Amino acid sequence: MRSLLIVDDHAGFRMWAREVLRHEGFDVVGEATDGLSAIDAVHDLHPEVVLLDIQLPDMSGFEVAERIAAQTSVVLTSSRSAADYGPAVVRSPAVGFMAKSDLTGAAMAALLDPAQS
Amino acid sequence: MTRRRWALAGIAVASLVWALGGEWVSIHAGIAENHFLDALAGLSFFVAGIVALDRRQGNRIGPLMLASGASWFCGNWENLRWPVWGAPLLVFGSATAAFVAHVALGYSNGRLATRYERVTVAATYVGTAGAMLGFVLTDDPRVAGCVRDCPWAPVIWSSQSAADAFEWVDEHGAYVLVPMFVIALWLRWRRSTPAQRRYLTPLWVAAGILAGVYLISAIVPASPHGFLRLLSDFQALLEICVPAVFLAGLLSARLAQSAVGSLVVDLQAPRPTGELRALIAAALGDPSVDIVYAVDDGGWIQADGSPALLPTDESGPSARQVTVIEREQRRLAALIHDPAVDPGLVRAVAAAAGMAVENERLHAQVRAQLDEVRASRSRIVQAGDDERRRVERDLHDGAQQRLVTLSLAMHAARRQLTAGHPDAVADTLALASDELRLAIDELRELARGLHPVILTDEGLGPALQSLADRAAVPVSVDRVPEHRFPPTIESTVYFVVSEALANIGKYADASDASIHVTHDAAALIVEVRDNGCGGADPARGSGLRGLSDRVAAVNGRMTVVSPVGAGTTVRVVLPGSARADRVDLVQRDSTGTPVGAAPHWTPGGTP
Repeated sequence: MRSLLIVDDHAGFRMWAREVLRHEGFDVVGEATDGLSAIDAVHDLHPEVVLLDIQLPDMSGFEVAERIAAQTSVVLTSSRSAADYGPAVVRSPAVGFMAKSDLTGAAMAALLDPAQS
Repeated sequence: MTRRRWALAGIAVASLVWALGGEWVSIHAGIAENHFLDALAGLSFFVAGIVALDRRQGNRIGPLMLASGASWFCGNWENLRWPVWGAPLLVFGSATAAFVAHVALGYSNGRLATRYERVTVAATYVGTAGAMLGFVLTDDPRVAGCVRDCPWAPVIWSSQSAADAFEWVDEHGAYVLVPMFVIALWLRWRRSTPAQRRYLTPLWVAAGILAGVYLISAIVPASPHGFLRLLSDFQALLEICVPAVFLAGLLSARLAQSAVGSLVVDLQAPRPTGELRALIAAALGDPSVDIVYAVDDGGWIQADGSPALLPTDESGPSARQVTVIEREQRRLAALIHDPAVDPGLVRAVAAAAGMAVENERLHAQVRAQLDEVRASRSRIVQAGDDERRRVERDLHDGAQQRLVTLSLAMHAARRQLTAGHPDAVADTLALASDELRLAIDELRELARGLHPVILTDEGLGPALQSLADRAAVPVSVDRVPEHRFPPTIESTVYFVVSEALANIGKYADASDASIHVTHDAAALIVEVRDNGCGGADPARGSGLRGLSDRVAAVNGRMTVVSPVGAGTTVRVVLPGSARADRVDLVQRDSTGTPVGAAPHWTPGGTP
């Protein structure tokens, strides 16, 4: 199982994302509610994957991705679609983007390992 | 001829008698001096004084000029050697320099503006006439050999040492008084406006040189011949300059009055915006003149409609004088000009340009209103953008997030169902149901912010009551008309009250508030009052200004009265808000669902 950190300021989303991913191939090792605590959590927990909301209260998810991408695989997420963010998603060092409404363990696995899918 | 003119004529005759009589006495006493120059200098003070009394009533320069002239000839009359009159003539005659100093420093209204000027002039009077008074009160001419017909006899205290001291002060006082006077002139020049300097520089140059001559006269040994005689003539010539400059000032004012006639002619021709200022500047002879126009709310605007402020500098080189132009007790405009410009001329120009000023004011007001409309339109567009961003943010942070989690919950429930955990499914669905209810509540609140259904369906009264019910403080609603108004008017009233109540909840620290709505043939008037801390400023904060724009867009007017510590009243007047004769409504069934086509509704209940 891949270890995973969920970063989102919305408690309801964190709860259900943990519930879904925990049963679908991911070991949820932690949660963070803002950018700075996410960076700290990556340093402390060394997750293999970070599910990172783009709109965080203290900084942009793109900025957080720049700072942690060398240590982990980042999957950006949002309740908006990727098109709403234009080329910023492509420029980001994240491995991909997943709309919150599409979140499943299988979809995450496919995004992280396209060859297997 | 008026009584005043007769009095002036009497003064003129008396002055002439005093001047020519004095010269006649000097000539017959064998005094060696230039009698023509002496008479001319003294008479020039009389002429200037009489003209000043005629043209500038209340101006102290006129009496000072007359006093200078009278003092000037005292020395001549002293040669009569009348025992009784000798002392007063000597004392008053010694004050000529003090009168001239007073005129020079007090020009052009005779008032001394600073403490230093008052001290200087007082010292000059004391050092000349005061010293001479002390001398005649203590000196006994009989000690010096006078046997009969002595010019005076000491009436209080005969003391030769005191008399010598007073005489020394009289002869050497110039060493101190002249530098004091020159410093006073220099200080006055420094704080004068450019226009004042233009008028006063010739006078001050003459007065400064004159002071130098007085100083030299005090140093050079007394002699009726040679260099001192030359100095005396030069001094007389310079002293003529003082009244001459004053007369020139009066004459230039008279010439300027004729410019008013030219102004009237020039005003007949069409002219571009701002040209009125140039015409008035030319008529006043003050290139720095400015005109600002009164607006109904008590403020001032420039000719181009931009806001203006009246100057507050009342002294110093940047000092400005404000002359308000009124018509029928209504302010039209204000002329901002150099204080040195003759007030009578300003009044004449203002009267001549009254109609043109009124026209220019109306144009300026229209320009100001256009500017405000442009700014308001821009703010309305901005407010629309801000509102769309707010709605998008509210949707994203609220209902959209809840729907996303709902989606995840459904996904989890499906998995739990497949895995055969019905209890877990029930728990998940219960949580999902709560989330769905919250999403519905948030969407309802958002929709109400966009446009309240209750306002459309029920009208102002119930809609305002619903706002009052949800307010943060107890709110009473009274006097709301029951009939309907045009939708834009109703929504304007609704959002004004909504914003006002929101502000009360956020900032007012109030314990209660009230909503009053009244309506007559002329206007719909809405007032929201609270008993809070007051101090609200409609110029700050986009909320109240946005409302003001919204009110202005339907030709209304919003005022906020908010004295610190005494609550706030937001008052909106919507003129001509006629009740709606027919309002299109969506008919709904008992559940609130729209049914069928919208019928026409007529106030009073007749469909």
